[in-house]
Amino acid sequence: MTPDLSVAIGGLALRGPVMAASGTFGYGTEVPLLDRRALGAMVSKGIFLRPRAGTPPPRIAETPSGMLNAIGLQGPGVEALIRDYAPRWAEWDFPVLVNINGESASEYGELAARLDGVPGVAGFEINISCPNVEQGGLYFGNDPRAAAAVTEAVRKRTSLPVWVKLTPMVSDIGVIARAVEAAGADALCAINTFVGMSIDLNAYRPRLSFRTGGLSGPAIRPLAVHLAHQAARAVRIPVIGIGGIARPEDALEFLVAGCTAVQVGTATFVDPRAIAEVHDGIGAFLAARGFESLADLPRYLPRD
Amino acid sequence: MFLIDSPITGKRQVARGMFVIAMEAPEIASSVHAGQFVNLGWSRGPLLRRPFSVYRVDGDRIEVVLKEVGAGTAQLLAMQPGHVVSCLGPLGRGFELKQGPRTICLVSGGLGVAPMPLAAREAAALGIRVTWVHGARSEAELCSEWEGDEVVWATDDGSRGAKGTAVAAAPDADVVLACGPNRMLAAAADRWPDAMVAVETYMGCGTGVCLGCAVPLKKGGYDRACTDGPVYRGSDVDWGTLPSHLAYAITS
Repeated sequence: MTPDLSVAIGGLALRGPVMAASGTFGYGTEVPLLDRRALGAMVSKGIFLRPRAGTPPPRIAETPSGMLNAIGLQGPGVEALIRDYAPRWAEWDFPVLVNINGESASEYGELAARLDGVPGVAGFEINISCPNVEQGGLYFGNDPRAAAAVTEAVRKRTSLPVWVKLTPMVSDIGVIARAVEAAGADALCAINTFVGMSIDLNAYRPRLSFRTGGLSGPAIRPLAVHLAHQAARAVRIPVIGIGGIARPEDALEFLVAGCTAVQVGTATFVDPRAIAEVHDGIGAFLAARGFESLADLPRYLPRD
Repeated sequence: MFLIDSPITGKRQVARGMFVIAMEAPEIASSVHAGQFVNLGWSRGPLLRRPFSVYRVDGDRIEVVLKEVGAGTAQLLAMQPGHVVSCLGPLGRGFELKQGPRTICLVSGGLGVAPMPLAAREAAALGIRVTWVHGARSEAELCSEWEGDEVVWATDDGSRGAKGTAVAAAPDADVVLACGPNRMLAAAADRWPDAMVAVETYMGCGTGVCLGCAVPLKKGGYDRACTDGPVYRGSDVDWGTLPSHLAYAITS
């Protein structure tokens, strides 16, 4: 018997626990070869109200078991997203959440209001954790009051599910997690990239034009499992684990550590079929151990 | 686009430090065009795939040309026939060749020979006369293989052919294709604004998702070398913002 992998999370019923992480799946139209039946949901590339050019190259640098990126939230702006992508999402059999960004709490709110009710938009992932923008981004993510203010600004303008993507660059992720939960978040996504830096020894300067970048990939996985676990212990709302997931066992670590679902990111760059392999492998793991559903998976989640 | 486990079938040296690796990839071999590339990964390799222009096609096999520039290419060059690489491709928009022009000049510097054999064959099939211009630092670094109706060599030290750059040594032609270091391509774009040039960038996914391979455009903004390129009209690229030197080695 095939185990039941469906999950209910942050106001949405998903057919599986594996989602495509923001910034690693474009607007859902780009990734080739993926078996889409495996997608629980997709989170779009981060969007602002207005178009953004992004940062000059070099934008990426490979590091041991990881990569640094500083794309700078290049994107077409919300109007183009509504015109070019949302109509296609409306026809898909999995929900699409929009990763929203702003330079002020009110900009986040405006963006949510503009997208609320647009067919194809199933919910929001508030990005208060992008390390690669000059204004906003991480600033909101490492201050509990600012994080709560952004969450509230969005919550007030939409009835759709609101998820908040947290940064690992904090001293206590539980404090931020509780602040955004109290402000009305339906779920948390933990975590976004770590801020890192790599030096070009030929040029005697940083390899990225933005100087720093967000570190992702297997290099950050144990750090991410810990932080997602810390977040899950701190709140009652579901936590979606993110960070270096490439194989089914990686996803299962997050799930056992208290996460309700996971997002796969950088692995998609390496293997466009990674999401399907993770999804299928979770099913195989549960089946091999005689679990009838993902809900039966034992969890390690002592409450704070 | 295909994702294929490709056994390596052979390796040969074509210049000092420069090798051609052949691999079995039937679906890619039968569909690839000049200027397109494959993104190669292998187990126990680096995290990200490595992009290579397809150099030649021979039956079910494709070839790529490379030098050891970092840990990834070192591992690839150490592989033996029978070892398997994961091959994603064909990727990108290649050179668009049409019937009509009488002459074409293929200008390459160093590893920039990579897309030229396929371009030479596609041009010849369209009845276009092909001049192959290849430059390197010295004779030892010139690629020993060439195709076309006429060949022009250029070396920085004058050890073979014209002393100076491939761009300076090249004759004019109805169509010019260029590939090589970005500095060389900027010079080519300066001389032939309509030249089609294949740029080199850092690359993540190779499929248009990660936005890591940004190419700055003169009209403003960036597009993606992997899907909008890697071939551009030379005068469309903002060469001052495109990194001219890529440092490959993984920092560990």
